[in-house]
Amino acid sequence: MNPLLAQFLAEAADLLTQVDEGLLQLERTPGDPEMVNEVFRAAHTFKGSSGLFDFPELTRLTHAAEDLLDAVRAGALPLDSGMTDDLLAAFDLIRGWLAHVTSNECLPATAGADAAALITRLRAPIGGEKVKVETTVAVARRDSAPAWLAYFDEEWLAETAAWLRTTSAQMRFIRYVPDSGCFFRAEDPLHLIRQVPALERLGLIEPVEWPEAADYDEYACMVAFVFAARAAVGEIDYLFRYVSDQIEVVDLDGDTIQRYLSGEAEADAAAPSEADEPGTVDTVRSSPSEPELVADARAILTAALRSLAINPTGHVHLVSVANAITAAAHALGDPVEIREPDVVALTATVTRLLGDTPPPEDAVSTAPIEPIPVDRGRADDPGGQVGSRILKVDQEKVDHLMELVGELNVAKNGLTFLAQAAEEEFGSRALSRRIKDQYSGLHRIAEELQASVMDIRMLPLSVAFSRFPRLVRDLSRRLGKNIELVLTGEDTMADKDVIEALGDPLVHLVRNSLDHGVETVDERLATGKPGTARITLAAVADGDAVVVEISDDGRGVDPTRVRRKAYEKGLISEEELETLSDSDAVDLVFRPGFSTAEQISDLSGRGVGMDAVRASVEKLGGAVTMRSELGSGTTVRLRLPLSMAVTQVMVFSVAGQRFGIPVDLVVETVRVPAAEMSRVLHQDVVVLRGEVVPVLDLARALDMPWTPDQTQDRAILIVGVNGQRVGLLVEQFHREVDVILKPMEGLLAYANEFSGTALLGDGLVLLVLNMKEVLGLAARVG
Amino acid sequence: MTQTQRKALVVDDAATVRMYHTTLLGDAGFEVQEAANGLEAVEAALATGFDLFVVDVNMPKMNGYTCVETLRSETVGTPAPVVMISTEDRPGDADRAYAAGANLYLVKPVAPERLVRIARLLTSGPGVAA
Repeated sequence: MNPLLAQFLAEAADLLTQVDEGLLQLERTPGDPEMVNEVFRAAHTFKGSSGLFDFPELTRLTHAAEDLLDAVRAGALPLDSGMTDDLLAAFDLIRGWLAHVTSNECLPATAGADAAALITRLRAPIGGEKVKVETTVAVARRDSAPAWLAYFDEEWLAETAAWLRTTSAQMRFIRYVPDSGCFFRAEDPLHLIRQVPALERLGLIEPVEWPEAADYDEYACMVAFVFAARAAVGEIDYLFRYVSDQIEVVDLDGDTIQRYLSGEAEADAAAPSEADEPGTVDTVRSSPSEPELVADARAILTAALRSLAINPTGHVHLVSVANAITAAAHALGDPVEIREPDVVALTATVTRLLGDTPPPEDAVSTAPIEPIPVDRGRADDPGGQVGSRILKVDQEKVDHLMELVGELNVAKNGLTFLAQAAEEEFGSRALSRRIKDQYSGLHRIAEELQASVMDIRMLPLSVAFSRFPRLVRDLSRRLGKNIELVLTGEDTMADKDVIEALGDPLVHLVRNSLDHGVETVDERLATGKPGTARITLAAVADGDAVVVEISDDGRGVDPTRVRRKAYEKGLISEEELETLSDSDAVDLVFRPGFSTAEQISDLSGRGVGMDAVRASVEKLGGAVTMRSELGSGTTVRLRLPLSMAVTQVMVFSVAGQRFGIPVDLVVETVRVPAAEMSRVLHQDVVVLRGEVVPVLDLARALDMPWTPDQTQDRAILIVGVNGQRVGLLVEQFHREVDVILKPMEGLLAYANEFSGTALLGDGLVLLVLNMKEVLGLAARVG
Repeated sequence: MTQTQRKALVVDDAATVRMYHTTLLGDAGFEVQEAANGLEAVEAALATGFDLFVVDVNMPKMNGYTCVETLRSETVGTPAPVVMISTEDRPGDADRAYAAGANLYLVKPVAPERLVRIARLLTSGPGVAA
């Protein structure tokens, strides 16, 4: 993609987010002038950049939105929720377009149609289509048809006249005579015509006589156009705003056309006269660059005259005016020397210069110019960007850097194997120690490097939170509930992968709160609560973890109902129905296949419940818990690792095969004499410091044949999962290593008992166990 | 054309416009720096002597008018040419620009070749002899 467009798309994403957030903020604090200004500024900046590209619908729609915002900013009208809806819809549409631009580098074909209705709605509060005085094309409502109607074919005119008379509709007839030198001003008549909305008919006006091939100037435009369109006046105005002097627009009704056709009303002139012909060869300027330079120099002189009339106050200002004058005079080939700048002398000089050089035939300086189509060849080098101090880096580059850090870690780990080999295979303890020294130096650097790269990847939680103001607003409107969303701790940082992965669970939880947690206004008032409910999204850093809490002050979870439901669904036994504590009962909502909502609404999705949330949070290496009090609300607490890029795993072996498990799950490692193992109710257990810990045979769970040596102590890995301690019988413990965990891909992605693989320094691929799944397996195997 | 490389400062809050102007002027042989608002522009001008300023009007923190006024004030005191480019075309805007110290006020869109032509024109004069 062309870098300028890429830059625009990146900038646009930021600006659109600002607009969205600002608009929602404004709904809460209507009329906050600061916020209005901020939204307007973002929209304005967006328009400024979008104008560089040839996306006319985008520019038109943004313009309409900006005008509305400008009116709000000027205090001309208050922003109501209808306008907010329209503005949000407009920027949503734009966001969709930009996605299309990202993949196709053009707007979708439907852009014009999609924009039209919105533009009308946006313009309605500010008195319909805004017509800029300076660019207005005089629309003549005429009773007589212009002579150039002859360029339309008569049959079509007759049909149209009949149609217009039956529908009493109106049609605009336009003649566009491009200036013969228009190509030099980056005007593209054909392109303009193509953009005419609701174009009904197009006719071409050719010169009376085409010049001989030898005299033919391919840089001069020699044709003109007539066309009929059912577009609004404003649309035509807007489209042709830079060539408004070259078009003529008339509104004709059926009767007028009919009269023209029958010859009753004399046309303006009997036939198209010579004067109607577009530029002939001799009006084309011989050298286009000369007059333009003259025009620019004159523009600068005129500006200097204006400055002098305003009476520049400072000496520096006066010197700059004098400089501009000497530069312009130099360009005009009439150099002047200015020794001591003073207003009177300078004014005289400028007046003389302006008098000496007549303006070129076409005063280029006053002619505004077409939006510039992106020059794909020229924008390759963005040049020095010294001004901004924040570097925007492509996510992929950071990801790649992270991968390299991972590989560095692996290579680094290789040194420890080398040290081991030096000692064991080559018998050199001294060499082994030196390798270990090298290792610790490298380890320190690698750690710092890793920390720096991780830091780059850190994003504030606000990235994950930003979509909620909008989501809550839209959903609460649909549900007819009044909800205030409170966000706190948005500055808390976490790794971008964590933030990204957090999105879906959060949406699910917030929707749950909206849908099931929060009562309707009437229900709330009946129970003595304020009518407006409150949903809070709070993030806080906690050591190596980030904790996100989603709480509402809704009806809470009814433990009795949950118990009954779980029993009905066969999730708990009759005994549990009686004995389960309230907090354990609330926890049942995380069980697969549980849904308490009597009616599944379209908001919370079907079939995916809290179990999906728990699964995805645990996949991130996090945990989710729920607290709820009947009648006063629910809080769901997500605890996630700050980063999931590098995982510390404990390596152990089972049946001769090495496996890893995340270190934070490991409580301790113990060796127990075989005789101290006991069996309670078909379950191996070990008593540790007075606590009975069940011991699972990992080899059996993984279906790997292995019989422990009866004479040796048992190696037991104690892990803590869901607050419970479980022992895993393993063959041998190994070291702890830092690894980059790669998720299982392809067919292996279904192997739930593994959370991923990691490459060790000696080239071995380590399978890292997903403890929860493995415990489930072990329980099933018995 | 002058052979020494002229330094230009492009001031605009819209990153895309900035990049566009930078590219245009860079291709025309200028050494270009960028600033995202008036304040950054003033800071840059204090650090570096520029031969040309291309300044947007509507910007956060410090708008174009104030920026140009500051460039002309004793704080910075640069007589280098200033071209202001704005999306607004309201009566009085141009005069505000000229009162602030701009040498030319243009309304967007400005054709690329015109911007380059004006940039070259304004930086190739002999200047004040004194």
